[in-house]
Amino acid sequence: MTERAQVRHTPNTEELLSIAEMVWASYLDPAGDHPLVVDADTWPGVAATDVVATVAISGAWDGRVLLSFTPLAAKRAAAALLGLEDAQDMGDADVADAVGELANIIGGSVKSLMSQPTVLSLPAVHTGPFPDMGGEVCRVSGTWRGEAVCVAVHEVAAYVGVSRTGETSQ
Amino acid sequence: MILARIARQLGFDVVEAGNGREALDRLAELDSVPELALIDWNMPEMNGLEFVAAVRRDARYKAMTLMMVTTESEQSQIVRALAAGAHEYVIKPFTPDAIVEKLALLGLVKNGVKV
Repeated sequence: MTERAQVRHTPNTEELLSIAEMVWASYLDPAGDHPLVVDADTWPGVAATDVVATVAISGAWDGRVLLSFTPLAAKRAAAALLGLEDAQDMGDADVADAVGELANIIGGSVKSLMSQPTVLSLPAVHTGPFPDMGGEVCRVSGTWRGEAVCVAVHEVAAYVGVSRTGETSQ
Repeated sequence: MILARIARQLGFDVVEAGNGREALDRLAELDSVPELALIDWNMPEMNGLEFVAAVRRDARYKAMTLMMVTTESEQSQIVRALAAGAHEYVIKPFTPDAIVEKLALLGLVKNGVKV
């Protein structure tokens, strides 16, 4: 007989929202004119054209932090990080750098909530849906300047084996 | 990209590198020793901590100010970086003002402009 046991702290939606709001206030909306509008009900899911950045956290806690923007939101994020008004001229490389850096920052803040020691991976950026990894533990989704945005945390499951004598093993 | 923008706005000439190994190579190519290095921790090939240690071992770069700018927020990591030779440590997310303030404390910026 085996059962799945949660032995480590996992972030909750409130913590993730606090982190996302801090990142928006620091980099994407310092003037407070265009905040992240959280509305889980209207989020359409990650589209095939969305820009997605993923960082992995591994060690005492194993999981992924994922960030998705529509292409326009990703360009606007890149422009904001570069201090530019016009998002239209943002190239793919700048957009990937920007979204990757934002995932790095959000991932680092999530990592600081976890049991230690943990290690943060470099960000990986791709276009299209979140990888199918299951285990979503929390999500903040909504819109930024009218464009769909999502931040999610997925946990890699830890399984604890329970013997007939009640002794556990991992 | 954010740090490069802030540094340029302050009046610094900026040379960027994608990892510590590349940064050491770029340093060796320069005609003069930079005043300042802004260093992330998590980088491929050679991470920020290793870069700080490498720079500190090299007498040519004795005058460089080294500032870690990173998501690593654990006390133990901060201690490791400072022990390795970093002069300052900034945790992401940061505001541009926080960077400017730190650089002012280090004597590299005054009234929002590079000294």
